[in-house]
This record gives sequence, structure tokens and C-alpha cells, in this order.
Amino acid sequence: MSSRKSDILLPLVAGGPRPWVVTLRSNILLPVLVVLMWPLGRLVEWSPYVNDYFSHVVLMVGISVTLAVSLQLINGVAGQFSLGHAGFMAVGAYMAGYATKTYAPDFAAAPQTADAAMVAAFFLALLVVMTTGGGLLAVIFVAVRRTRRVHRALPGVLAVVLAAWFVHDISAARGQAELPWYLLWPQILARLGDVFEWIMGMAAKAAPAVNSIVPACMKSGTTLLAALLGGGIMAAAAGLIVGLPTLRLRGDYLAIATLGFAEIIRVAVVNSEALGKATGLSVPPYSIEPNPEEGMAGQRIFPWIYGWMLITIVVVWRLANSAKGRALQAVREDETAAAATGIDATHHKVLAFVVGAFFAGIAGGLYAHLDGYLNPNSFGIMKSIELVVMVTLGGLGSISGAILAAAVLTWLPELLRAPADWAALLLRPFGVRGAEDLHMPQWLVDALAAVGENRMVFYALLLIVMMLLRPRGLLGGRELWPQRRTLHARPPAATEDMA
Amino acid sequence: MSERAPLLVLKGVSRHFGGLVALSNFSVALEQGEIAGLIGPNGAGKTTVFNVVTGVYAPTAGEIHLAGRRIDGLSPVAVNRAGIARTFQNIRLFGGMSVLDNVLVGFNQSAEHGLLGALVRSPRAVRESRMFDVAAMDLLDTFGLADQAAQVARNLPYGAQRRLEIARALATRPKMLLLDEPAAGMNPQEKAELMELIRFVRERFRVGVWIIEHDMKVIMSICQRITVLDHGEIIAEGTPAEVQADPRVIEAYLGEPV
Repeated sequence: MSSRKSDILLPLVAGGPRPWVVTLRSNILLPVLVVLMWPLGRLVEWSPYVNDYFSHVVLMVGISVTLAVSLQLINGVAGQFSLGHAGFMAVGAYMAGYATKTYAPDFAAAPQTADAAMVAAFFLALLVVMTTGGGLLAVIFVAVRRTRRVHRALPGVLAVVLAAWFVHDISAARGQAELPWYLLWPQILARLGDVFEWIMGMAAKAAPAVNSIVPACMKSGTTLLAALLGGGIMAAAAGLIVGLPTLRLRGDYLAIATLGFAEIIRVAVVNSEALGKATGLSVPPYSIEPNPEEGMAGQRIFPWIYGWMLITIVVVWRLANSAKGRALQAVREDETAAAATGIDATHHKVLAFVVGAFFAGIAGGLYAHLDGYLNPNSFGIMKSIELVVMVTLGGLGSISGAILAAAVLTWLPELLRAPADWAALLLRPFGVRGAEDLHMPQWLVDALAAVGENRMVFYALLLIVMMLLRPRGLLGGRELWPQRRTLHARPPAATEDMA
Repeated sequence: MSERAPLLVLKGVSRHFGGLVALSNFSVALEQGEIAGLIGPNGAGKTTVFNVVTGVYAPTAGEIHLAGRRIDGLSPVAVNRAGIARTFQNIRLFGGMSVLDNVLVGFNQSAEHGLLGALVRSPRAVRESRMFDVAAMDLLDTFGLADQAAQVARNLPYGAQRRLEIARALATRPKMLLLDEPAAGMNPQEKAELMELIRFVRERFRVGVWIIEHDMKVIMSICQRITVLDHGEIIAEGTPAEVQADPRVIEAYLGEPV
């Protein structure tokens, strides 16, 4: 008995609806809303407001919100100042874009060419190769770190030696072993390449069978989904890789390290032949309808962007308000106290980075298939800073604040570019065809043109004014919707009083 | 296992910082349900003892056992999960979080639902979060903080912050509670209430309590046993009466008879 923990948890008086009812109730709405995005996309298309430019802005707002909310988890909830979010976005964008370009180059326009199986297999093969290579590196890393206690390093060293000997044997059987076994790294990498090729070969055989299962109308969608999830998972892996070594850093130092990571990604893309170098990568866009007469460009990807936006918001919201979210906040507030309360800071920081990076990767994949063109410069420092500005302006820790700020800050530069056109667009149901129908005096036209030309100055001015008026962000860390927190359960003493 | 087996045992624990010997050959055995005191002049190494026990520093030499399990060299997180909770000399609450959330963080390690459970609100997650809500409110009620549950922790008055820190420590369901100067900055009335509270906590949660305290009245009236530290070494040990009578203690620390 003496070794048992004290029994604080025993006196339970819990009320409220049954737990499975709560589970059911809280999971019905999201799928319904996501499915509703398809008819909503049609509605936007039929509305009198729509033109290509307008719908493009609407879609960019959805992507920005996804990015800002996922960054809010890292910067606001967990308090880890990351300047590398554009890096995660780039990983998702380039991986998803490369996958569809290579394995389903025409998937959006011609569904019969869609190849979800190959795209999925590509990411699977990549993951296998990455974990094998990463596992070997990790074993060596741990073995070196543990050398102070030699007996603990032995299994690791043994594993590496065995692996090297094994690879050497295969290479020798193929007549490729010019090097002694302990200088085998190029050959190990070549073997990993073989593994990749082998998996892709298997997938190519299985692909027709898999594709025949998918109904024709869902072929393009399935391929896009596979590419998005793959890109998201790759970004999450990047979050893990960045997370583990850099999370000992705090504050400014972490910001610099994450900034460095994002730059490494960008420079790697600029130097990669497969990813189009500095000229950029053309990706099959998902915005074009199979029959261009039928609808406006951009509308087809609307449900995907807004569906994923909803999923991101719900996941981040639930995570932030769960026990794990409280742990993240505890790490933000005081790492020492968190450790003394049994909260593993590193584990929770990595969690925030992995989840945040996953959704940034998804947003990147959507961005890649929106325009069909990727340029490494769109994922530079400025993009990361733009996202940090959104999160800060919305109020650190506030998810609704991030949504609001992302929407406003994405739309604002466009509004400043041509205010009269936006006014005309809003007045279109009243017979206004364009800006000239507004009959504005010449001085106003000139003034608005001047604003448009210097819009970035006004944008910056507005940022400064907003930060002066609301130093803790638009919502100051609170949420737009009321935080209901009903205690279904009451302390036993209080329950007795009620009876 | 008998009830009287020592709960926390320190055997010849030393801690050096470079050439500075902060703690040398410190040994003590605390029993379950005991309230023990640790006193000594400023810089004697009292907080170092707590830091070594809770894993903030690894001991340079010596062993620490909790309920028969060796815990020296573990991380602060692992030590806490093994069953030692502490408070800090300078209060360390999660200032921006609500009073209730501060305590709920302590229950995190008792949670059995994972990330996925939290995301889909699985029945287990719902059940557990209700269970923790009850337990946390119960704890806050015990510490007279239930009415302030929704307040932001940093807005609490000083005495309430000290009590909240103890409540948070107890939420991790410890076997051993280390209090680093819990009465610092309290008025006599608050101190009297605190002593009552510590006695109650010992009974209610069946924990061992180890207290660092400068206020002699507090320490002499609630501790069954006191260890006196000076320059990192134990200079006296025993009941409050014995310690008070020890000439070395009077010389090194008290200066004058209390």
C-alpha cells in the first residue's frame, strides 16, 4: 500500500451527457461542414460577385488562414517563436507538386490519367527510405553521444557494423564492392535508391488494380488528396527534424534557428534540378475544370482549400483546449515549473512543431495546385514574417484572432491595390458593372490610384496603427466566440448540498 | 512493505559546482507521512538539496532512493513522475493560465487518452477530462481557491498563489512533497493557516512533507524532525527541542536562543 500514489482521483461525482454521446455529437458537424463546402463553392461561382481575380483572393484567404492557425499553435499556444513556417509550407508545396507532376501530370484536366496509387506509393517509398537512412544516422548519433558509458553504445555500434557488412555483401554480389565495408556510405545511399525504385516498381504493377476501385468522378480528387497528405506528412517530418535539435533553444535563438531552416529549404529548392531550380516548378493546377466552359477557374479547388481550413481550425482548437494544449501552455508559461509538474517540454514542443508543420504542408500543397506554378522566392523570409505578423496581430494564443488577421491581411493589399474596383464588385447586384459606373470625381480617382501605387506603404502604416491601438493583438489572446467551460462535474461536497 | 519503511532516502549525496562544494555527504531518511524540516543560514545549500532531489542537478556523488527506487540522475520530469512534487522559493505558477488550468496541468500525467483521443473527443477522453475537473475542483476547494477557479493565476493575491502552487504540486499525486519556503512573505494569520493546511495535506493525501523555512515558529511547531545545514554539511539533526538546544546550531544559525 505504501508505494501507491495517493488517491486524489477517487471521489468522483461526474454528471452531464454520456461520454459517447459527447463524442458522437462533437464529430458530426465537421464532416458535414466539409462536405457542404462543395455546394458552397458552386454558390460562390454563381454569385454576381465572382470573377477570376475575386475568387483567387478568396482562395488565398483560405490558404492564409490555414497557415496562420497552424502557426498559432507553435507561436501562440506553445510559445515557441518560429520564423520557419514558410519552410514547412515549401516542403508541402514542392513535395505535393513534384508528386502530381511526375506521377499524375494531367490528373486535374483528364481524370482517367489520375494516379492516386502512384502518388501515395511515392510518399510511402520516400518515408521508408528516410526512416531507414535516418535510423542509421540516429543509431550512430546515439552511439557517439553515449560513449561515456561504453556498454550502452555497444548494441548501436554492433547494429551499424552488421548493417554495413550486409550492404557490403549485397554490393559484392552485384560486383559493385570496390570499397571496404567501413567506407560504404555511397553504396548505402545507392542501396536506399534501389529500395525506392523497388517500391515504385511494385506500385506501378499494383496501380491499375487500385485505380479501378476508385470511381471515375473521384479520381482527380483522390489523387489530390494523396498528394496533399503526402506533402503534409513530409512537412511534419521536417518539423520533427527541425524540432529535435533546435528545441533546446529559446526565444530569439530559436527564431534564428527556424529562420535558418527555412532558408536551407529554399536554397535546396533553388539548387535542385528536379524541383525546377530558381525558375520554378510547373505543377498540374487543380483549378481548371475538365470542361472550361462550365465554370470559372479556381472554383474547383474551393472546397479543398476551405475544407482543409475547417479541419485545421478544429484540430488546432481541440488540441489547444485539451490536456495536451494545457501542457503546451504550461511550457510556454514556465518550462522549469512545467518540468517539476511532470510535463516533458521537449516532447510537447516537438508535438506543436509536427502538427503545425503538417497543416502548413497541406496549405503548401493546396497553394501548389492553385496556380500550377511554384517559385522558391514565394517561400522566403518575407512569407514567414508575413505569417508571424498575422499571428501577432490577431493576438498570440487566439485562434479566432489568427483567422481574422489572416483574412484581413491577405485581403487588405488587394483592396488597397484597386479600392474602386472592389466597391464596384460589391455593388454589382445593383447594376454597377465596373469602377467607371461609380461616377467618382476625378480627384477621388486620382487619390485612389495613388493609394494603389503606394499600397505597401499604407499596408505598413495600417499595421503600425493597429499595433499601437491594440498592442496585444486584435483579440488580445482571447477568442471571438465565448469560451464555454461547463463543469459537468462538481466537487462531492457541493453535490451533497444540492441533494 | 511496512508503513514505517523510509520513503525518501539520501545516502552521502554531494554536489560540487566546479571547486565550490555546495553539498557534501548529505544523508537523511524521511518516513511516509512525516513532516520534516530543513533549515540553515542563507547559502547553506538548502535549495541545492531540493534541486538535487528533484533532478534539476545530478548529484556529484551519492544515491537517492524513493520508495526503494533509485532516482538520482533522473530528469526533473521523471523525478516528478516517480512521485516527488515541489514548490519554488520564488513562486513559479503558469501565470497566464487560469487557476483551474494550473491544477489541471498537474493531472496531465495521469491521463490515459492520447493525442487522437483528444482530437476526436473519444469517450475515454471525455470521461477523463470530467474526472480531472472534479478532482481539480476538489483540490481547489480544499485550498480555498474554488471561487477563483476561473481567474488568471497571476492576478491572485500572494498567499493564494503560494497555496495554488501547493495544490498544483499535489495534483501530480506525489508521495513526497517538497516545500521551498512556503511561508515567505505571509502575514502571521496566513502563516497559521498555512501550518494548519500542511498538517491537513499530510493527513488527507498521505504524503511525506519536507519543508525549507526561515520562520522558526512555523518550522518548530509543525516539523517532527529537523535537519540543520551549514556550508553544505549537516551540523545537527533531531526533534525541534533537540535542535534548539544544540550549541552548534545556536552558534551557526540561531545566534540567540529562540
